[in-house]
Amino acid sequence: MQLSLVGLNHTTAPVELRERLHFPEKDIPAALHSLCERPGVDEALIFSTCNRVEVLARLEDGIEALPLLAEFLAVARRVGRGAFESSLYHHSQREAIRHVFRVAASLDSMMVGEAQVLGQVKAAYATARAVGTLGSVLDEVLTHAFAVAKKVRTETGIATTAVSVSYAAVELARKIFGSLEGKNVFVIGAGKMSELAARHLLASGAQAIFVSNRTYARAQELAAAWSGRAIQFDELLNYVSQADIIISSTGCPHYIIKKEHGVRFLAERKNRPMFFIDIAVPRDIDPELNTLDNIFVYNIDDLEQVVAANVRERQREAVRAEEIVEREVDRLLGRLKRLELAPTIVGLQEKLHGLRQQELERWRLDDLTPAQRAAVEGMTRSLVNKILHLPLTQLKRLPQEPDGLKLIEFIRKTFQLKD
Amino acid sequence: MSRLWLWVALGFYSLGLVHALLTVVRRRPAWFRLALVAIGLGFLFHFVSLVEQGLAVGHFPVTNIAEATSLFAFLITLGFLVAYWRYEMTSLSVFAFPIVFVMTLAAVLSQPAALPVAPLLEQSWVPLHVSFALVGYAALILAFLAGVMYLIQERELKRHQPHAFYYRLPPLETIDGLGSRALAVGFPFITLGISIGAVGAASSWGSDWIRDPKVALSFVLWLIYLLLILSRVGAGWRGRRAAVFTIVGMVMALASWGANYLSAHHAFLGH
Repeated sequence: MQLSLVGLNHTTAPVELRERLHFPEKDIPAALHSLCERPGVDEALIFSTCNRVEVLARLEDGIEALPLLAEFLAVARRVGRGAFESSLYHHSQREAIRHVFRVAASLDSMMVGEAQVLGQVKAAYATARAVGTLGSVLDEVLTHAFAVAKKVRTETGIATTAVSVSYAAVELARKIFGSLEGKNVFVIGAGKMSELAARHLLASGAQAIFVSNRTYARAQELAAAWSGRAIQFDELLNYVSQADIIISSTGCPHYIIKKEHGVRFLAERKNRPMFFIDIAVPRDIDPELNTLDNIFVYNIDDLEQVVAANVRERQREAVRAEEIVEREVDRLLGRLKRLELAPTIVGLQEKLHGLRQQELERWRLDDLTPAQRAAVEGMTRSLVNKILHLPLTQLKRLPQEPDGLKLIEFIRKTFQLKD
Repeated sequence: MSRLWLWVALGFYSLGLVHALLTVVRRRPAWFRLALVAIGLGFLFHFVSLVEQGLAVGHFPVTNIAEATSLFAFLITLGFLVAYWRYEMTSLSVFAFPIVFVMTLAAVLSQPAALPVAPLLEQSWVPLHVSFALVGYAALILAFLAGVMYLIQERELKRHQPHAFYYRLPPLETIDGLGSRALAVGFPFITLGISIGAVGAASSWGSDWIRDPKVALSFVLWLIYLLLILSRVGAGWRGRRAAVFTIVGMVMALASWGANYLSAHHAFLGH
């Protein structure tokens, strides 16, 4: 068995090249067929997204993988091999499996931990399976990759931290308040970013919403959209203390909320915490407010800083994810080795012929004439071979079946073949 | 032979300790699950050891410092398990497990050879007094740990530069809730414990006990406890200030506990 992966991604190839080699979804079935028609190609899968184009194949032993798969890409996408050959990477066997696992677990992504890629891998798998170019080994590799991706997601923090400013604001709010259920949000000044942050907060359970804007009509419009309440701009200070989370992004040249306001809010709120998100430049909220207990003020730079720290945290967690991947590659390799076809066939033959031998000994054929004995032996041998014939023919077809390994496993269990 | 089960409990607690130390180096959720199981088993064996000791001495086993320490460690574990069940607070383990381990170790090591129990301690009010006070202390320890966690997390959030703690510690409001609930549970117990002690002591020794340094400290502690509760409920103190105040209260409680060694009545030896 030879497992090979050839491809390029966002780190090895510029977008101009990636888009030329990209397989549109509708072209993939035909491409898979043409690849599997090439001599020596047993199984194939094409994975093509805006960040990567990869071909995974199981080839017959002795076939040169890189030239074959590169040639296929060139022909299928009508791009000269010279244009992309230097950007290609080629992984085989263990490395190929590890690469598939890393891609599915989003460790090879531009943004480590992004959730989209797993869905894309699953789609590619479904396509290849539907087209029929997926055999027992690739099916096993891919389904195992999905399990690894899930494991990485649940056991490490690579996908738990926010890597955009608006999500970072939600995450911070959660770090302050715990649950956002029933928390009130106040949006001061309408803008794209504040709307986005407010929408995320609402989606995370935040409840009532106040909107205030210099142009009252705009505030009313937004308040209606969120079924919130519009507040006159010059009255907003009277309402702020009712809000837990305040998002501010006005064009004011000076601070709207000053430290003495903060002191007053806290008194009115009995010190329940407040979270100010100041995305305005120049700032709307006096940074001095942050020195008050139970008030937390984040401006746009602070949020960026949190995002940067989150990205570093994801990278730290990715190290642990790599360890999981490494362990799982070993496990899969062990399983593939256990479920190889040839030893299974040999094992099955030995098992049945062994049984025949045992029975021959048990029935003590010494009394028979040599001719009779030869007849009994011949008959039993041919009977065993006849019985074996159908299952063996079937077994030999299994590598091309997506569920082949499961059937091999079934047979090994049924006949209790030793690992 | 109740020490055997206490040793077994200590063995399981040591796994919790190892987890707490390793977590500082690198975090693995699988380790936490193991540590949680270990702590749970340790807790069970600890319970067995308490029951056995109680049967052996014929009353609730809080009549010497080893027994009291053991019960105290048991109560802290119980507090942790309740807090974990209620808030899924995994990070609390990093702070709580070492305390549980050290207290249990102290209990195992200081087990005295069967000393005759001082006649004073055979009076029925003493076990009640000690156990209620210990529940109060254990709750205060939890509140204290919550206070420490709060201060760390608050600092992370105020400085705008998240470090490892920011990711591991629970939300501020959750920590604050744990702190105030621990105090709310502990206060009735400490009040009862101290009242039983006062009434019992008055009937045993008259007014002599008031000059005991531990008694004075305990009273201060109870006042602090009361102030902690009042400041939260009445004055609306919460968050940082409440956390700092709780930590101060804990230091007072430690002094009070230490006074066991200075106090004539509280040395578990009798009068």
